[in-house]
Amino acid sequence: MSAHDGEVPITVEGDIVAVRRLLREVAQEVGFGITDVTRVVTAASELARNAYKYGGGGVMRWRMLESNGRRGIELKFIDQGPGIADVSRALEQGYTTGKGLGLGLPAAKRLMDELDIESAAGAGTTVTSKKWCPK
Amino acid sequence: MGEFAISVIKVRDTLLVTVPAEPDDSTVSALQERVLSAMERHDPKRVVLDISAVETLDSFFARTVSETARMVTLMGGRTIIVGMRPAVAITATQIGVTLGGIETALTVERALD
Repeated sequence: MSAHDGEVPITVEGDIVAVRRLLREVAQEVGFGITDVTRVVTAASELARNAYKYGGGGVMRWRMLESNGRRGIELKFIDQGPGIADVSRALEQGYTTGKGLGLGLPAAKRLMDELDIESAAGAGTTVTSKKWCPK
Repeated sequence: MGEFAISVIKVRDTLLVTVPAEPDDSTVSALQERVLSAMERHDPKRVVLDISAVETLDSFFARTVSETARMVTLMGGRTIIVGMRPAVAITATQIGVTLGGIETALTVERALD
């Protein structure tokens, strides 16, 4: 694979698996070990499902990162859905509690190194997250 | 689905359920229904869930498996999860997956002992 960035639509349920398969290859290419590859793919699965189920569909944009000799990956999940009214609360929700919005967010946050959410009620959601290869 | 479908086989008093590598959400949802109807039809003592091919265990998968195991218990059976990959075990633990009430085993042979 020679691409350093790309985009995957998230419009049908099968796209969640497509995101996982693609990012597994990309993460291996970046140089992550098997456990970190699994972390990236699992986080992406959570965020892709959120975009599909609660965001009404959207897109995932990925790019390889390089900084100070370290390589990494950035994932951006964008949807035009109803948005998250209380972002900090969505991040706090325990993994096992309740149904609905944000169950995957705390999980993704734990697996990645950085995770930021831009969202507001009625304004769609963009979740950007990064993971770096260990030094 | 097709070659990516979950297989459900009766082996003596055990229901052996084998999950493919990257099941989509519909396949994972179908797992619950298929296990429960197979339990009703075959009345096995236990359900062995072979996830040795599974590379990603996210909260959706974990939740479905937990619910299925609870239902199996209600129907009088035990659930044993087999073959969790190390990377999957590490990741699942990190995101707080607790397979409470479900036994685990390293291999199918162990689970059938």
